[in-house]
Amino acid sequence: MGLLTNILLAPFLGPVWGTRWTLEKVDRVVREELTDDTPIKEDLMALQLQLEMGEIEDAEYVRREAEIMQRLREVREWREKYGMSTSGGPVRVAEGDETE
Amino acid sequence: MSDRDNTAEKSEATPVEGVEGKYVYCIIRNDRSREFGEIGIGGGARVYTVNHNDLAAVVSDTPIVIYDPTRENVLAHEFVNETVMREFTLIPMSFGTVFRSDNDVMALLKSTYQAFTDVLDKMQDKIEFGLKILWDRDKVVAAIERENDEIRRLKDEITRNAASSTYFARMQLGRLVEAAMEEASNRYVTHVHEQLKDVSVASRSNKVIGDRMILNAAFLVDRKAEKAFDEKVKEISRQYEDLLTFKYTGPWPPYNFVNIKLKLEKAT
Repeated sequence: MGLLTNILLAPFLGPVWGTRWTLEKVDRVVREELTDDTPIKEDLMALQLQLEMGEIEDAEYVRREAEIMQRLREVREWREKYGMSTSGGPVRVAEGDETE
Repeated sequence: MSDRDNTAEKSEATPVEGVEGKYVYCIIRNDRSREFGEIGIGGGARVYTVNHNDLAAVVSDTPIVIYDPTRENVLAHEFVNETVMREFTLIPMSFGTVFRSDNDVMALLKSTYQAFTDVLDKMQDKIEFGLKILWDRDKVVAAIERENDEIRRLKDEITRNAASSTYFARMQLGRLVEAAMEEASNRYVTHVHEQLKDVSVASRSNKVIGDRMILNAAFLVDRKAEKAFDEKVKEISRQYEDLLTFKYTGPWPPYNFVNIKLKLEKAT
């Protein structure tokens, strides 16, 4: 009884605010991680280098490349969900703009 | 989930029904249409030009899809550019750039005419070479121990008094070796750059990949100096034969030296 009550009825404002702040921060970190394809591209380059240096066989390259492509597609989906720009797919010249 | 998401999930590019787009490989200067053969992305599509005045976009027909940067797709993109490069100075497009129609491609040529023209002038008869340098850690450490008296002395001491040598002494040795390695890496890279300066127009260092790479650079070279550059790289790699591995690639289109920010938006 004692301990649980203490936790449940603990000082109200502090923990609630604290939790909210943490959640927002976590959300931001998670979002950044979900939508950043830089580390995935680095993994792809490292994989290519391993193949070039003869450190891995072709079959392993193909298998790991497929994993990396899957991760890239996931990031692309998250970026679209968050309304961020994505590479690939149809494009056109942005209207009314002259490129310098 | 939207249609786009579904498209993206499939492992291979999947067409949106009945819509044909144009995959753009590069921009060249040519005032008439040209064919480059059936070498395009997505299984040997016909590669040809879409023209506007004296500029041409090298394209092939494609379903409207997002191309994954798989080895197969990237090689197809690069192979087209290599083929075009034999005859033309080109501005490479980013991998995976797809327009909906000839008209949209022409709009790009029209709106970016001046920038493309300027860059084509600048890049006239220039080619790019890639140079990656990797080291063998053990060999470099051995070389450092030979050259650096302080490190050699400390190491001998630790080896002689294996039982009594302190944690501190080992830590200090580790730190000294690390610092000496960083110094060696900088020295090698600087030395390589110095020797290639006279035979190249410009250079750019990219982020190294993995922990064995000490240089990941691109060099812009005048076609006339191609042979001289080539010989110099071979000479340098002989100088470092026992210590470093050179990965030398090219000629490429000037991927690392063209930076035109295209104002493009998603075509829905």
